[in-house]
Amino acid sequence: MNLIVIGLNHRSAPVEVREQLAFARTSLGEAHTRLLAASPVHETVILSTCNRVEVYALTDNVSDASRSVREFLHNHHRLADRIDTHLYEHHDDSCIHHLLEVACGIDSMVLGETEIFGQVKEAYSVAQKAGTTGVVLNRVFQKVFSAAKHIRSTTAIARGSTSVGTVAVDLAEKIFGKLGRCTVMVIGTGEMSAATARALQNRGTGAILVCSRTHERAEALAGQLQGRAISYDQWPSEFPAVDIVISSTAAPHPIVTREKLGPLMKIRRQRPLFLIDIAVPRDIERSCEELESVYLYDIDDLQQIARENLAAREREVATCHTLIDQHVRRLAEWLDRNRGAVEDRYHRRVADPSLHDPAHTQVS
Amino acid sequence: MTDRTFLWLAQVFYATSCVVTLRRLVSAGGGPSLQRANYAAMAAGFVLHTVFLYLRGRALGRCPLTNLFETQAFVAWAAVLFFLLIGPSYRVSFLGAFTAPLVLVICLAALLLPVDAVQTTPPRHSAWIEFHAAIAVVACGAFALAFVMGAMYLLQERQLKTRHLTSSFLLLPSIEQLDVIHFRLLIMGFVMLTAGMVGGIISYHIVGHWTIPKIIWAWSVWTLYGAVVVARGLWTLRGRKVAVASMATFALMLVGFWGVNLFQR
Repeated sequence: MNLIVIGLNHRSAPVEVREQLAFARTSLGEAHTRLLAASPVHETVILSTCNRVEVYALTDNVSDASRSVREFLHNHHRLADRIDTHLYEHHDDSCIHHLLEVACGIDSMVLGETEIFGQVKEAYSVAQKAGTTGVVLNRVFQKVFSAAKHIRSTTAIARGSTSVGTVAVDLAEKIFGKLGRCTVMVIGTGEMSAATARALQNRGTGAILVCSRTHERAEALAGQLQGRAISYDQWPSEFPAVDIVISSTAAPHPIVTREKLGPLMKIRRQRPLFLIDIAVPRDIERSCEELESVYLYDIDDLQQIARENLAAREREVATCHTLIDQHVRRLAEWLDRNRGAVEDRYHRRVADPSLHDPAHTQVS
Repeated sequence: MTDRTFLWLAQVFYATSCVVTLRRLVSAGGGPSLQRANYAAMAAGFVLHTVFLYLRGRALGRCPLTNLFETQAFVAWAAVLFFLLIGPSYRVSFLGAFTAPLVLVICLAALLLPVDAVQTTPPRHSAWIEFHAAIAVVACGAFALAFVMGAMYLLQERQLKTRHLTSSFLLLPSIEQLDVIHFRLLIMGFVMLTAGMVGGIISYHIVGHWTIPKIIWAWSVWTLYGAVVVARGLWTLRGRKVAVASMATFALMLVGFWGVNLFQR
């Protein structure tokens, strides 16, 4: 009885191959049952995200299972070409090790990202509902979830943000706490400012004001962000009510100067103001940072923080691997201890399908 | 085993809490388990600290505030009390990291310096004096925690301003949250201090015993904290300045308190 994973990810395959292999969310449950029927495997979980497609399975015969899972992927997606060169395969301890790396975000494109954890959970839940998991994969996935949580909370692998937008959100939260009452003003309608505004909006900021020299563009972006477009000359009058400013105009000279900002800060009674300047050349005069309660970050500052956070995550990889090894050892010991009992139950079930479903069989 | 032993034992736990904090900073990970360990260490220290105050109070037959040592220990106890109440209810992460060292310093100063003198002449006993002293000391506990909040505010504000983020950045709360809780602690402390001052005036009329330095000190502290609370309430003082003013007032209060008591001796 062996564990096996066959799959591809962003490193082993280009997007043209990955997109051909991706499973539609709606048909994933059915794909599980078809795979179980078509291959010599007892249990299976299919993980399909934009960066990876992986099939985890429990089998008696590794080489047969490997061949039929590859065949299944090929037939299911009606592929014209063979994709074997892009596929990787891990067995037993190495399979659990891989799953843990995936769940912790170590195998992700952005090191330590946490979205993958939810995606693995979702994949397991779909497989469970389709009835293709049993005593072994249930145990493996559940233990992997608690191990990944433990690793994420005891190391800095998922710490800090690694993109300009999310770094800005982190900073905003360390200034204002909850962002619900924060008003955001977007000056200029660049792609980057829209992305940053969206990142802030996703974390629950309040009203969004958009202004641009071209009012139509301001209205278009305001429409996307469900905000309000204001005319370019209006921004100083709206300023006292604003908490976060994202500026990215193409203006050749600074548009927010210390001279203009000083009196506005007095009207705001020195309430904190977070200035995000992602324009090059810069829109906000650097000397504004000397004003009390003003926190000014330009694109270089944000990128620098993102880089430092990523570097800090990279330093944690070795610690994560040590912890992963410990968890793998524990799971492998459990598998060894129960291999006989599991094999026995599956073989009896093959001999007599009316026997109790192994998914609910108790193994110590 | 004297009652002081319990206070020493409490210090072991407060010191443990300091070590746990260092580990959280160094390991960079420091998840909820270390935060729980920190809180548990502080709670254990608090229990032993309470045992000390109870034993001392029972031996004296009154509130244990008869000398500098006892008062100092009482202030530290009140600070830990506020920490245990405020930390979890406002979800202020990393508060213990700053509270434990302050409490440790206050207690160790009291334990190591020869200030645990037995009062030869029993002070004139009045319920009002005890109320006055006890509530004023609890107010000092609130001010001590406000001092802690102020230090956290200054550290976090500095990181945000200079864009130099250390490993404490993600552990510390937002400056707005620190500002709000800091202000609430100042109000709480000031209300209790005012009640203590009223108790002092009443007890003076009953007992008729007072010393000029102590009165000058008490009214100065009350005026300074009052000014900080009013200025923050009216928004004339904001952000860093509130933190600096509150921390400076607390330091002045401690220095003044030692000065007055040593002067009296």
